[in-house]
Amino acid sequence: MIARAAIASALWILMAGCTARQEHGQELFDLHCADCHEEANPDLKKQPPSLKGLFRAKKLPSGAPATDEQVRKTIIQGIGTMPAFDQRLSQNDVTDLIEYLHALK
Amino acid sequence: MKRETIVALASLCLVIAACQPKTKQYSLRGQVLAKNEAADELTVKHEDIPGFMPAMTMPYKVKDPGAVQDVQPGDLITADLITANQGQDYWLEAIHIIDQRGRKTAKPAARRVLKVGEKVPDLQLVNQDGKPFHFSDFKGKAVLVTFIYTRCPMPAFCPRLSSQFAKIHEALAKTPDDYNRTHLLTISFDPKYDTAPVLRRYGLAYLDNHPEGFAHWDFASTNPLDMRKIADAFGLEYFEEDNQISHSMDIVLVAPDGAVAKYWSTIWTAAELEEALRREAKLGQGRKG
Repeated sequence: MIARAAIASALWILMAGCTARQEHGQELFDLHCADCHEEANPDLKKQPPSLKGLFRAKKLPSGAPATDEQVRKTIIQGIGTMPAFDQRLSQNDVTDLIEYLHALK
Repeated sequence: MKRETIVALASLCLVIAACQPKTKQYSLRGQVLAKNEAADELTVKHEDIPGFMPAMTMPYKVKDPGAVQDVQPGDLITADLITANQGQDYWLEAIHIIDQRGRKTAKPAARRVLKVGEKVPDLQLVNQDGKPFHFSDFKGKAVLVTFIYTRCPMPAFCPRLSSQFAKIHEALAKTPDDYNRTHLLTISFDPKYDTAPVLRRYGLAYLDNHPEGFAHWDFASTNPLDMRKIADAFGLEYFEEDNQISHSMDIVLVAPDGAVAKYWSTIWTAAELEEALRREAKLGQGRKG
């Protein structure tokens, strides 16, 4: 019984932890990504793709494999007309953002 | 009042209401860092504006010119931030000074912005290929100059500028005469990050990966000291904060004789810039002939 309770509370802590990261990821997404990826911007050369279901596809819109590492690289270095978020977002920020992108459907 | 008159008035009201641009209103709270009375502009270091932008320092147009006179650098203010045209046009209204204790009495060092008709200083820049050049190298061509940094994430700022310059570049390429007597120049005020290879990669993204376009559109930077001189000459404002850069929007048309012909800040269209550039190039041709 005690073991089961311990496992349950560990799971609960783990889940709560994930949610907090995703919540932070969502805040970052709303501040830094939504303007381009969620809104229509007729003045931009290319309309940035929607990021909903990003990790459901095998490939990213760029054609690269849809992996955490590739998305991290894209956020930090930028790609095409997407600016680099180097020095704007910390490594932890990017981790939280990726967590949120996994949940974004 | 006759019924016809009432119906006519009501219809007019409906038409006017339908023609009003869609605006959004946000609450802004922050500290004024600088003001430009001539341009009715305040530079404000503001808190997060939920739904519009994260906390940052940015210049804003002020609708009521009197408000700019009343506010001093150092003041804490609240204001209504109004946006229109999908966030591309924005300005402040209803400014209230909530704390004057940080007010600065010392005036910032005056800088001398070039007036229309004055010659551009012949400073050296380095382009996306690492090749040095001078403003005077473009003599005989009308040049459209703007300022960006490649990491700018605000779609209404640098990405818009580069996207619209790309549109102008593509339109000019269709008329060889105008293409040959015009030039586009995008200058980065972030030389530390925007090295020649970074600028080349950035430029290629806006040139659809056609490097021959660099012959008509340069992406350049210079050392921080000369960049400050260029910014002062053209009235550009930028400052670095937490590794990011807050900046104003500035587009300058330089005539074929090397003198400033026109400035734009936040309100412009690609068509307007393109037309002015073509006109200035033709005028220069006429003067030469």
